[in-house]
Amino acid sequence: MVSPAVALLIFGAAALLLAGVFWPRQGLVARLMRLAALTERVRLEDAVKHLHDCDYRGQPASVESVAGALEVTRARAVGFVARLEALGLVRTSAERVVLTSVGRAEALRLLRSHRLWERYLADRTGLGPAEWHDEAERLEHRLSPTKVEALASSMGHPVYDPHGDPIPTAAGKLPPRAGFAVTALRPGQAASIVHLEDEPRAVFEQLVAAGLAPGMQVQLLDASAERVRLLADGRVHALEPVIATNITVAPTEGLPEPAGPFETLADLETGDRVVVRDIAPVCQGPQRRRLLDLGLVPGTEVAVEFRGPLGEPIAYRIRGAVIALRREQAELVRIERDGASVEAAT
Amino acid sequence: MTSTAAAPCVGCHANRASSLVQLGVRPGRWDYLVALAGNPNTGKSTVFNALTGLRQHTGNWPGKTVVRAEGGFELHDARVKLIDLPGTYSLQAGSADEEVARDFILFGRPDVTVVVVDATRLERNLNLVLQILEITDRVVVCLNLMDEARRHGVGIDVAKLAKELGVPVIPTVARQGNGVPELLEAIHEVATGAVTTAPFRIERHPADVEAAIGTLVRTIRESYPELPNARWVALRLLNADERVESAVRAGDLGDLSERPWLEAGETVAVESDPGASPVGERILDHATSLRWTLSPRFHDSLTESMYGEAQRIAGGSMVRGLKRTKFDMDRFLDRLLTSKRFGFPMMLLILALVFWVTISGANVPSQLLATLFIDTLHPALTGFAAAIGIPPWINGLVLDGVYLATAWVVSVMLPPMAIFFPLFSLLEDFGYLPRVAFNLDTLFKKAGAHGKQALTMCMGFGCNAAGVVATRVIDSPRERLIAIITNNFSLCNGRWPTQILIATIFIGALAPAHFAGLVAASAVVGIAVLGIVAMFVASWLLSRTVLRGEATTFSLELPPYRPPRILQTLYTSIIDRTLIVLWRAVLFAAPAGAVIWLVSNVYIGDASLAKHLIDVLDPFGLLIGLNGVILLAYVVAIPANEIVIPTVLMLTVLTLGLGDLGSGAGVMFELNSASATGDLLRAGGWTLVTGINLMLFSLLHNPCSTTLYTIYRETGSAKWTAVATLLPLGMGFSVCFLVTQVWLLLA
Repeated sequence: MVSPAVALLIFGAAALLLAGVFWPRQGLVARLMRLAALTERVRLEDAVKHLHDCDYRGQPASVESVAGALEVTRARAVGFVARLEALGLVRTSAERVVLTSVGRAEALRLLRSHRLWERYLADRTGLGPAEWHDEAERLEHRLSPTKVEALASSMGHPVYDPHGDPIPTAAGKLPPRAGFAVTALRPGQAASIVHLEDEPRAVFEQLVAAGLAPGMQVQLLDASAERVRLLADGRVHALEPVIATNITVAPTEGLPEPAGPFETLADLETGDRVVVRDIAPVCQGPQRRRLLDLGLVPGTEVAVEFRGPLGEPIAYRIRGAVIALRREQAELVRIERDGASVEAAT
Repeated sequence: MTSTAAAPCVGCHANRASSLVQLGVRPGRWDYLVALAGNPNTGKSTVFNALTGLRQHTGNWPGKTVVRAEGGFELHDARVKLIDLPGTYSLQAGSADEEVARDFILFGRPDVTVVVVDATRLERNLNLVLQILEITDRVVVCLNLMDEARRHGVGIDVAKLAKELGVPVIPTVARQGNGVPELLEAIHEVATGAVTTAPFRIERHPADVEAAIGTLVRTIRESYPELPNARWVALRLLNADERVESAVRAGDLGDLSERPWLEAGETVAVESDPGASPVGERILDHATSLRWTLSPRFHDSLTESMYGEAQRIAGGSMVRGLKRTKFDMDRFLDRLLTSKRFGFPMMLLILALVFWVTISGANVPSQLLATLFIDTLHPALTGFAAAIGIPPWINGLVLDGVYLATAWVVSVMLPPMAIFFPLFSLLEDFGYLPRVAFNLDTLFKKAGAHGKQALTMCMGFGCNAAGVVATRVIDSPRERLIAIITNNFSLCNGRWPTQILIATIFIGALAPAHFAGLVAASAVVGIAVLGIVAMFVASWLLSRTVLRGEATTFSLELPPYRPPRILQTLYTSIIDRTLIVLWRAVLFAAPAGAVIWLVSNVYIGDASLAKHLIDVLDPFGLLIGLNGVILLAYVVAIPANEIVIPTVLMLTVLTLGLGDLGSGAGVMFELNSASATGDLLRAGGWTLVTGINLMLFSLLHNPCSTTLYTIYRETGSAKWTAVATLLPLGMGFSVCFLVTQVWLLLA
């Protein structure tokens, strides 16, 4: 019989070793699998996507831009482009690299897969916004077209991804690019966010942390070379101009003037009675629908009944039923203390 | 499955039948098909029972009908088949339950859809009624819980409501059978067409929606000029309704017309090859491009207008100012059961009480059954078999193996289950379980799990397989998987006997005699609480690693408390939980008995197979504070944890070579007193640490085969079944190992 101290040491060492090998994402196995997944096909598909992206934005694409997008040397990028040309996916003329119609169809197929995955990750998995893109980058190369269609139909054929980008149809249709950078607004002008660029990730994380989301109303307060100040939901956001350009907006027509800051169901005391104003734009997809289906539509009266023993969840009386919500959900429902104005509006 | 996409097939009932089979309806002969829909917790199952006379289990927590039930009854010489659909708030959010309900109403084409409505929350319930009226006009509204409404001071002008909705509205108190004959009459009238309905439908939508509907209707009319409900089809297409899309794609649009059952030709919109109809593709293409023009608030505004109408109709038919009962019992109970001070103590107290009643109540009947099956019948059968000259090995395999294992399972498992499940059902009926979920939700949130996991966890205390099935109430796939994998940490009925016996022998014995029982009982409750802790830890680990993600949206309806109906609960929970679970356990235990007998009686060299296996397992067993006998017992007891103790005793006798105890190799037995069992185990080398480790291992090990099979069926994945097996096993090995080695280090 081994001595207990030795046995415990061996156990600890074995546990550490196993964790190092099998830990998700950072473990040895996960790293090796990621490396193995980065095959030539994936590289080529990424190159096609980059070319389409340039095309969609109306920017010229070149071997250099391909090298930059794939993070490879120029020599390897030349190899990739040559390979794509041989496959009939691109044409090169002078310095330019242009997608053929076959290449564009392929790019749209990939884009559809990518954006559907992002929608899926956002709606169904509870992964944080910052992780949607990276995960979708990995998953988009894996599905056959039939599986992609099954994914789309399981989600009710969504039209937009969670960043506000349109998802190409199965037939490869994509509406023209709409909107412009928020920095193009005149001071004092208001617009609604239609898109938050998800690359680079650090910038996107900053925008998400600031609480910005597609569907939100923003007003440009002032812009200088150092700083852009935006008013969104009644809160002032100061951003560097280079970061602010990652916010795409479209003109607001027929939408109410931006207002805020808003109180939410989470801000109330037991016994309060209020009226729902709306559900925050950041809440999308099935989660939004579920809140709406509970009857949390504008004008609904809500009373705070009681709280859980740990301060959460909070039980609300909504249209006759007592329904408990977690703080995170309660924060998404914006309310008005004075019900009269909302009821008049609806 | 034959596709009937192309030609309409005249009057073929068979096609509808085949699509119903696809929807999960058992084929059979009936004249009318009736679907039962409604919000969760409106007494739908009670109405179902009142109509069919079946005793479907009913409970007071939302999302109870996770498996669709069907039943039949006779109505004016016509055979009626009744399908109970899952309770949903809406048909649009796309959860699995909602899809089942919607697909059934849309494609099962019931002759009548009965919508059960909670009269106390008319406005909320009307939202679903209006959505169903959009799909079909053969609807009867069953205004249930009229008694509760009266208690809450709510009166409803039924005639006015029926006029507004344009369909029959029948007030009922289904629990007492009030209004059921009238409901049957209304079903009959709508089914036979004696009453024609004129369902309320929302006519006006926001301007951009109206514009989109308008242009899409023109496109649809180009190809289907006679389609009566083109507006509805257009709206569904803008909403990306997949079934409507597939019907359009297949060119089956004509079948989605408003009253398909009245047409001569019956065809079924079976999914056929996509791209079958170029006309359909053109319509779909147009719909998709229109969807980009719609405001992102499109869905919001549809829901808003539904609720707006519901509010208007409900407000118009409510009679206010009735006398309310003075004291609001619900509010008082809620404040008490969820309070900071009493919430958790009350929960522990109720848990301990349920355990105590189950354990102490099961003792005597268990003994009686054991005396009957094992002490009396078994020797009699063996004697009889010997008398008529059956070869000893058949006798051993069948009577000592299969029969004894089954008898053990029945006598050990039946009494506690027959007590636990009714108790659980009473709590369910009363409405306490959602409050447990409410109290524990913060912990579940921290663990990255779904709040309704508390409900499935409670269910698991009865039987893990039942708990795994109950996870269907969780609609996020990630969180449902967590609930499935961690359900095994609820200490199920089958493991209690082991816990109680070992706690009595090794832990109760440490305390003075008159405290022994209490100490042993606390040790068992301690293990159960440890199981809850392990469940939180495992959920947290899973949601940080392989099932990474944050907890998603979750809302929990806290239904009003309802006085439980004791007799009916006893009857139904014994019938539909206890016996089903028992039957499954017996199915798995019988072969296990044969295996146990075989390993003890098949000899290799000079020792039995069991002896060899024990010798192989012993070093590892001792390392983690158990022994080879226990490990072997757990391997052969995978089918049913109930037989662990008798198997351990039998194997211990076998290894010690004590001929005078038990009745031979491979014959399971239990000793009459705990102290005699303790003496035997100590002779087998057991110490206090072995006892503690066995209790821990009994909590933390792989699920039994019934549960594993259920997990496989629910997840459809070998990978997750493997995780559910190996995770608790790994935890059990590690915990036992650590306890043993630390104990040795300190001792």
